[in-house]
Amino acid sequence: MRDGPASARVLVVDDGSLIRLYYREALEAAGFEVAEAINGIEALEKVLTDRFDLLIVDINMPKMDGVSFLRTLRARDGEAGAIPALVISSEAGEQDARDARAAGANYYLVKPVAAADLTLHVAVLTGTPSGGALA
Amino acid sequence: MASVNPTEPLVASDIRITDPEFRRFCDFFYRRTGIVFGDTQRVYVDRRLADCIVAAGSRGFAEHFARLLVEPREMERLISLFTVNETYFYREEYQLRCLTSTLLDGIVARKRIGQPVRLWSMPCSTGEEPYSIAIWLLENWAEVDRWDIEIIGSDIDTKVLEAAEAGEYSERALMRLPRPLVDKYFTRIGDKRYRIDEGLRGSVQFSRVNVIDQAEMARWRGIDVVFCRNMLIYFDEVSRRTAAGNLYDSLAPGGYICLGHTESMSRISPLFEVRRFPDAIVYQKPEEGGHA
Repeated sequence: MRDGPASARVLVVDDGSLIRLYYREALEAAGFEVAEAINGIEALEKVLTDRFDLLIVDINMPKMDGVSFLRTLRARDGEAGAIPALVISSEAGEQDARDARAAGANYYLVKPVAAADLTLHVAVLTGTPSGGALA
Repeated sequence: MASVNPTEPLVASDIRITDPEFRRFCDFFYRRTGIVFGDTQRVYVDRRLADCIVAAGSRGFAEHFARLLVEPREMERLISLFTVNETYFYREEYQLRCLTSTLLDGIVARKRIGQPVRLWSMPCSTGEEPYSIAIWLLENWAEVDRWDIEIIGSDIDTKVLEAAEAGEYSERALMRLPRPLVDKYFTRIGDKRYRIDEGLRGSVQFSRVNVIDQAEMARWRGIDVVFCRNMLIYFDEVSRRTAAGNLYDSLAPGGYICLGHTESMSRISPLFEVRRFPDAIVYQKPEEGGHA
């Protein structure tokens, strides 16, 4: 068992392996616990069997994209359906952000996102301003 | 011919390679790999060939040579013994700097979001170079999360590719990598042994490729940058030109080749344009036209 306060748990959903690694390294260095999924289908399986405090979701992914994933997730009752979601996409258009919000995204960032910005947003969205530790 | 008692186990010093056998072997090896050995490398070739014959349990050159023709595993063992595989992380760092300071800006400017950036390390040996590219991008490219980056490591030697996929390294291979990066991307697994991060391992795709085999190379297209260091120096002029032509075909228009610091493409092939950037000299496939 770990000592000290539990860390906020973040699921990174992105089909780019280097991108997942980049986000994971940044978040772990800031004290968050990180799990990964390579598309919406794998992400759904993980949120239904594990507990997360935040989802980081890419839009363009094979098999199930980010918007479909969020729609499917938000249609569910219970805790999993309400997990906050930060969408980080390469699509910079206003319509893309609107679609993501309509599907259930809580916040929308356009790539590239610097490590410091990422951890700041994740800290705010998980309510853990001091390095990932849950009060 | 080696005169040995067929009942005694053979040792490498029992093996004698005759002049015609040496020439026959060199000719065969050249045709299969493009790598040239001359009389000045006679001792080197004889010693490795003898090691190969003993390791395979063959009784002499003639028997082993016959086996090479029909047993792909023996051919792989031979290639493994005859190619130089020693390298280390962040070797020729100036080229990695050139990649992020200059080359990638031009490459992504020609792409739409969603189109992959394809980087190829060849020969990749035991994986130090393709993994170095991945680490360098994670640490130094501000747009690393914006693009779908494919890193491919290729080599003619399947043995080194297996080692690359395993991702385990000695301290020596990590000597040029700053300590914080070793701590960040590697786990210590024993006395001076390290294993690379699982995520990094998954970010590089490894594949066996023979650069002078046009049919094999035809599987690889749309490459943006090839890191091809210290490979062409093993080839003769004909193989070098074949390799250069095959690499040219694999590159996307405007794609780059980075060679070792002692090599020059200008002396090999007129297909590429020399680009002198602040961090490195690289060779570019022209954006328009080119050979058919």
